[in-house]
Amino acid sequence: MSNSYTSDILKPFKLKTKQQELLIRVLILCLVYILAFITRLFSVLRYESMIHEFDPYFNYRTTLYVTQHGFYDFWNWFDYESWYPLGRIVGGTLYPGLMVTAALIYRLLHFLRFAVHIREVCVLTAPFFASNTTLVAYFFGKEIWDSGAGLVAAILIAVCPGYISRSVAGSYDNEGVAIFALLFTFYLFVKAVNTGSLAWGLASAFGYFYMVSAWGGYVFIINLIPLYVLVLLITGRYSMRLYVAYNCLYILGMLLAMQIRFVGFQHVQSGEHMAAMGVFFLMQVFYFLDWVKHMLSDTNLFQEFLRITVTCAVAVGGIALGVGMASGYISPWTGRFYSLLDPTYAKDHIPIIASVSEHQPTAWSSFMFDFHILLFLFPAGLYFCFKRLSDATIFIVMYGLTSMYFAGVMVRLILVATPAVCLISAIAVSATVKNLTVLLRSKTKVAQIGSTKGTSSAKASSKASLDQSQPFQKNGAMALLFGAFYLLSRYATHCTWVTSEAYSSPSIVLAARGAHGNRVIFDDYREAYFWLRQNTPLDAKVMSWWDYGYQITAMGNRTVIVDNNTWNNTHIATVGRAMSSYEDEAYEIIRSLDVDYVLVVFGGVTGYSSDDINKFLWMVRIGGGVFPVIKEPDYLVNGEYRIDKGAAPKMLNCLMYKLSYYRFGEMMTEYGKPPGYDRARGVEIGNKDIKLEHLEEAFTTSNWIVRIYKVKPPNNRW
Amino acid sequence: MAPKADSQSAGAVAAADASSQFSMDPVFHILKVVPYSFLRPPRLRLKIPSVSLPSAMTVFSLVLLTYFMVVSGFVYDVIVEPPGIGSTQDPATGAVRPVVFLPGRVNGQYIIEGLSSGFMFVLGGIGIVLLDLALDKNRARSVKVSYAIAGISSVVIAYVMTTLFIRIKIPGYLR
Repeated sequence: MSNSYTSDILKPFKLKTKQQELLIRVLILCLVYILAFITRLFSVLRYESMIHEFDPYFNYRTTLYVTQHGFYDFWNWFDYESWYPLGRIVGGTLYPGLMVTAALIYRLLHFLRFAVHIREVCVLTAPFFASNTTLVAYFFGKEIWDSGAGLVAAILIAVCPGYISRSVAGSYDNEGVAIFALLFTFYLFVKAVNTGSLAWGLASAFGYFYMVSAWGGYVFIINLIPLYVLVLLITGRYSMRLYVAYNCLYILGMLLAMQIRFVGFQHVQSGEHMAAMGVFFLMQVFYFLDWVKHMLSDTNLFQEFLRITVTCAVAVGGIALGVGMASGYISPWTGRFYSLLDPTYAKDHIPIIASVSEHQPTAWSSFMFDFHILLFLFPAGLYFCFKRLSDATIFIVMYGLTSMYFAGVMVRLILVATPAVCLISAIAVSATVKNLTVLLRSKTKVAQIGSTKGTSSAKASSKASLDQSQPFQKNGAMALLFGAFYLLSRYATHCTWVTSEAYSSPSIVLAARGAHGNRVIFDDYREAYFWLRQNTPLDAKVMSWWDYGYQITAMGNRTVIVDNNTWNNTHIATVGRAMSSYEDEAYEIIRSLDVDYVLVVFGGVTGYSSDDINKFLWMVRIGGGVFPVIKEPDYLVNGEYRIDKGAAPKMLNCLMYKLSYYRFGEMMTEYGKPPGYDRARGVEIGNKDIKLEHLEEAFTTSNWIVRIYKVKPPNNRW
Repeated sequence: MAPKADSQSAGAVAAADASSQFSMDPVFHILKVVPYSFLRPPRLRLKIPSVSLPSAMTVFSLVLLTYFMVVSGFVYDVIVEPPGIGSTQDPATGAVRPVVFLPGRVNGQYIIEGLSSGFMFVLGGIGIVLLDLALDKNRARSVKVSYAIAGISSVVIAYVMTTLFIRIKIPGYLR
């Protein structure tokens, strides 16, 4: 009686199965959206809402400029405060997508009367776009496999450490927005290929435009999509849908991409974009042949025509490419991208690229750290894709394979591989779980099998054994489902631990464990930059190694000689030469560059290991690459890099050594060790009695991490 | 055998001659006139080998091999050239002990540790594939059961070993 009463009350709330499913899906997507946002907030909660690392400071400064001066002033901005005395044409040498996006969000929030500071918008842009990426991953998964795979893909990509590493709150860098644009463009393109609709093709062209405006990695898109089209043509999957989708994306996307000044005419001039053009012409040849075949009724005639046309087309294409490259109109592949195809190239030829730690090749532990069980699910997912080949699964397989190869070549590119790995793993999880649940829900089919197999006694015994195996199968499937659930929960634990421990450090604020286990914070960088801002004349010029350039201009508000843009190798080599010469020669270079202050980073007191003494050999190599007077063996002893008593005399008297260890010889850094014990290198320094002739110490931070020296004017004549 | 083959090939040549009347290929016509009106081409029984696309599973096995190489850090081994296995000197006895896992950094490895970890990843992947094969209806029951057992044990072993490796490599893991 009460049952029917409660069911009467609940009747308007009772949903049909389809509606229940929709409700569950929407709930899951909402939870995943929120999860992707909040898992990236560790550093905001632990420290404060600030911008991390080095590159984001330049992006923040330019975003500030956009909001204060408007878009046209930003587009035509010439920055005289960096790369003194050369300056930098900012409008033509950056990708504006990130800054414009943040400025638009800022304007929208102010329109709704939320008076937020632009810094908060910049800090939280990356988590916001990460949440959007999970939604795109859901739709992409639905397109490739089914909605179950889409949901799993959204969950996996929300917490995957490979993506989190570059999109935490505070990491205001191009990749935060670019990965969203990448996945969005790929989704729109696959949708266009599946439907053949011009509207989706147009959308994919605009998605490509957003990607080009956001990141230099758009070269990956413009090479992967032609490769994919080529593979489809080879496997005989040419169709009108592919023709419409690719032509729309290529032509419109190319025209839109040329609106970005930094990209300019590269789509028709650079060797890296020629594959797309070649495939474009090949598609026209295919269409032409298809049309001729349709008109012609004689197959023999058509075969001859086919042979002649293909030979002619390939010959003409080859000649055109040869003429273009020989005459220099088509430039060859630039060093950054060429080193992806030939990884040994950068080591021998371009020390600046080889010195960046993110550009090192990947070891197995980096893969495990960033992917965890996705490394098992990836080959399984590939197997499922190969089992059910379609236009969409061929695309995701190619994206996964090419991006995994590039991730193996350079650690930083694990970020590009993450969406593909998550999607393919989601296919494996979804297919396996579906198999297991089908087993769980199967009703006993013993009676039917018994009737079709006949009535012999052997069959009867097998009927009995089948009867016994059904509950065994159900139990087995239940156990396997629990096992899968356990593995996925271990993945979630691992991802949260990695995010909390490894990827949430702001890098500008250092943390360490004190003697009693309490957390000690070193805020020396900001201390030094604010000292510069408040205690130096407005037109002072600061010389430091290029790592700190962006931070000095953004927070210290002073002109720098070289910064992280590293566009002028000779200028950087000049600074490197100054740092590695004796003080007198260095003083001449410093005077010629009009420098007022020199800034060095020193980790000897705190044990901080990313300081300038550890980076010194790169200064020598880069300086020696342009000025042969600087020779690396002069600074080494038996091939070994030392700074203690047995070090090379040139090392003990060069400018970098003097500036790092000035007055350090009297300092007691550790209990039981002699004064002048360098905690980062673990040795006592060789030259303790340092006298500076042309520079004087201006400021040293409280933990000796940043040291600033003032350049004295030249002596009077008498 | 020889005369019969001759007559057959002669017949084939005659048939080819008959169809070549309709060839549109200009190069063929030029060749027919310039050397081959006075030169006699030899009679060969060559056939152009037919190139066909490999099956999906062949491609999948090649892909698995490439994945194993990439994930073992093959590019890292080629560029950085680490030793196959590291060594450390025991401070007490002075004996040289091998060190399998490069300590201290996340992005560094010796060759053997890379290869063994890569093998574990591929083993885990194959385990899941075997599980799917075990659920395929069109096989004998004993084969299905053995696939299922092999699949489950592969996944379990791979996961346990991988967790063990990462715990050895990164001492503060999950703490």
